[in-house]
Amino acid sequence: MFSKIDLSPSIPSLGSISQSRLFQRRANSKDDLSEEYRSFQDIDYEFIDKSDLQQHGFSRTVTSTMSLDNMLCARCGDGFEPHEKIVNSTGQLWHQQCFVCAQCFQEFDDGIFYEYDDRKYCERDFQILFAPCCGKCNNFIIGRVIKAMNASWHPECFRCEMCETELADTGFIKNAGRALCHECNAKVKAIGSGKHVCHKCHALIDDKPLKFRGEMYHPYHFNCTNCGVELDYTAREVRSRPGFAANDMNELYCLRCHDKMGIPICGACRRPIEERVVTALGKHWHVEHFVCAKCEKPFFGHRHYEKKGLAYCETHYHQLFGNLCFVCNQVIAGDVFTALNKAWCVHHFACSVCDQKMNQKTKFYECDLKPVCKKCYDKFPTELRRRLKRQHEAMPQRKAATPT
Amino acid sequence: MSKAKKVLDEAREIRNPEIDLADKAISSFEETPGLLNMTYITRLTLSHNKIKSVPPALANLTNLEILNLTNNHIEELPLSLSSMPKLRILNLAINRLYNLPRGFGAFPVLEVLDLTYNNLNEKSLPGNFFMMETLRALYLGDNDFEYLPPEVKNLKNLQILVLRENDLIELPRELGELTRLRELHVQGNRLTILPPELGNLDMTSNKSVFRFEGNEWVAPIADQLQLGVGHLMEYLRSEAYRITYNRYSTNKPQVPPPCVDKAKKISRIR
Ligand SMILES: [Zn+2]
Ligand SMILES: [Zn+2]
Ligand SMILES: [Zn+2]
Ligand SMILES: [Zn+2]
Ligand SMILES: [Zn+2]
Ligand SMILES: [Zn+2]
Ligand SMILES: [Zn+2]
Ligand SMILES: [Zn+2]
Repeated sequence: MFSKIDLSPSIPSLGSISQSRLFQRRANSKDDLSEEYRSFQDIDYEFIDKSDLQQHGFSRTVTSTMSLDNMLCARCGDGFEPHEKIVNSTGQLWHQQCFVCAQCFQEFDDGIFYEYDDRKYCERDFQILFAPCCGKCNNFIIGRVIKAMNASWHPECFRCEMCETELADTGFIKNAGRALCHECNAKVKAIGSGKHVCHKCHALIDDKPLKFRGEMYHPYHFNCTNCGVELDYTAREVRSRPGFAANDMNELYCLRCHDKMGIPICGACRRPIEERVVTALGKHWHVEHFVCAKCEKPFFGHRHYEKKGLAYCETHYHQLFGNLCFVCNQVIAGDVFTALNKAWCVHHFACSVCDQKMNQKTKFYECDLKPVCKKCYDKFPTELRRRLKRQHEAMPQRKAATPT
Repeated sequence: MSKAKKVLDEAREIRNPEIDLADKAISSFEETPGLLNMTYITRLTLSHNKIKSVPPALANLTNLEILNLTNNHIEELPLSLSSMPKLRILNLAINRLYNLPRGFGAFPVLEVLDLTYNNLNEKSLPGNFFMMETLRALYLGDNDFEYLPPEVKNLKNLQILVLRENDLIELPRELGELTRLRELHVQGNRLTILPPELGNLDMTSNKSVFRFEGNEWVAPIADQLQLGVGHLMEYLRSEAYRITYNRYSTNKPQVPPPCVDKAKKISRIR
């Protein structure tokens, strides 16, 4: 058998990986015996039990010039003729015709042979008889062999079935007949239980997760950007570059620091407001989300009118709730005075010059569609009165003022 | 005891927040002892007096919402007025103002500003005058404007604009952006044409008033006005008028002379 080399116990291998290593060796000289012919991508000498090593290698044909009296062919046991070509490999000598594959009795191509159970084989026969086949690519495996999931694999062919990471050095977990990395296994388990896997430690998140830059985490991996306190799931992610869609600059703050930063939340869409804030009805709003309760058009800075916790545009407020007083600009609850294209509440129907209250019976003059009591009008400069009078006469006939 | 002092004493006694001092022959705030300490008052009416100057300390009346100084002899105003936090209505009609203080437009909540019958023109307005976004009525009748600055468009909430009897030669196209305007008084000026953008305004509803008499309108406009404001507005929106207006813009109609009538305004007394 091949030598089996177990992985170091420090590697968590719930599924068992065993690996072996086949070496090609050069047999040119005794001193060269341990020199590797092929370079392996991953040489872990410490894992190799050298006593159990399978050898294959080069042979060198030499013409002996020294005394051959005591030398015998390692295969047939006969001596050598002087000047005969002798093969010298791994410290032994052969007749050239005796140094052949144990299976096909042919000489080795380029002198490369593989040794198993003290017999030498050509590459073709060695692979047919002994070399393992990769469970993935079906090619022979020379070098490090990963034995797992009841098959053999090139290290680079043994990968997580979900994410394709190599598993040879990290170990794996058998999950429903699949070899998975720890991370993917945790994810599969989490999805099954409706939970998330922490993007940092890859463990299941049992309590509420914290979403940060698009991934789920255990909140305790993070600290508040401002006060440094360890976070819990109530932490808030804050865009550090307002207006940018990318989240790679986002930062986390504890709820307290977040509130202190005063980032207002829109009363309509419940999202933070990063541009202009409208404050009304005891809430904050995105400019475009603060709209008339009737026509749903944004006010965009135009005046709005509040009633029972709702905001209305002027048109709809009037339509729904009546007139605004010209003086107090409030909706008129009781009696309405209408005159001069305007309306007044009982408290504010007054002369625009002296602010003295007027009633239905009070006679008043009109100046620029404002009411002026007679007393005040008489105090106007004479020339102004004359001009106003002329203006009035020039005007098309208007409806008389009608306080109601 | 002066009439003014009597009024103030009585008002203090019942803590009346509305002070009526109209026609009390007051020529200076020195004749209204303690008035500037009555910080709780919400209305102060000083119409028909002879006040020449307004002390900056008037702004101490931080609860004042209505200040009426109509028909006085005021020649100058303190800038401090503009910082009064609750002042909604300011009436300065029939005074002798040739200028407004720099920064005058800083009123935080002013809704009605009456500057009728003073001596103001486009050059006497401070730079921030049209920043008073809360303004819903602006009375500039009986002044000396030849042009109205295009910044008037910033008065987004303006519903009433009175320019009666100035010397206006032209109205700015930007007037068409005051979508909430429902009273426009331009009678007694030197206007000949109107910007087509005025057609955007809703001047035909029963809540709207457009006063235009006493101008020297070009024939096409005069003809439409004969038919009514609705006809005029429709005409201003027409392609035909756009072409006519462009022609008038390059080849301006002759500007009528200023109205001589106003020369006798008492506001000009110095
Ligand atoms: Zn393979
Ligand atoms: Zn994986
Ligand atoms: Zn974690
Ligand atoms: Zn914090
Ligand atoms: Zn929103
Ligand atoms: Zn609406
Ligand atoms: Zn009112
Ligand atoms: Zn009056």
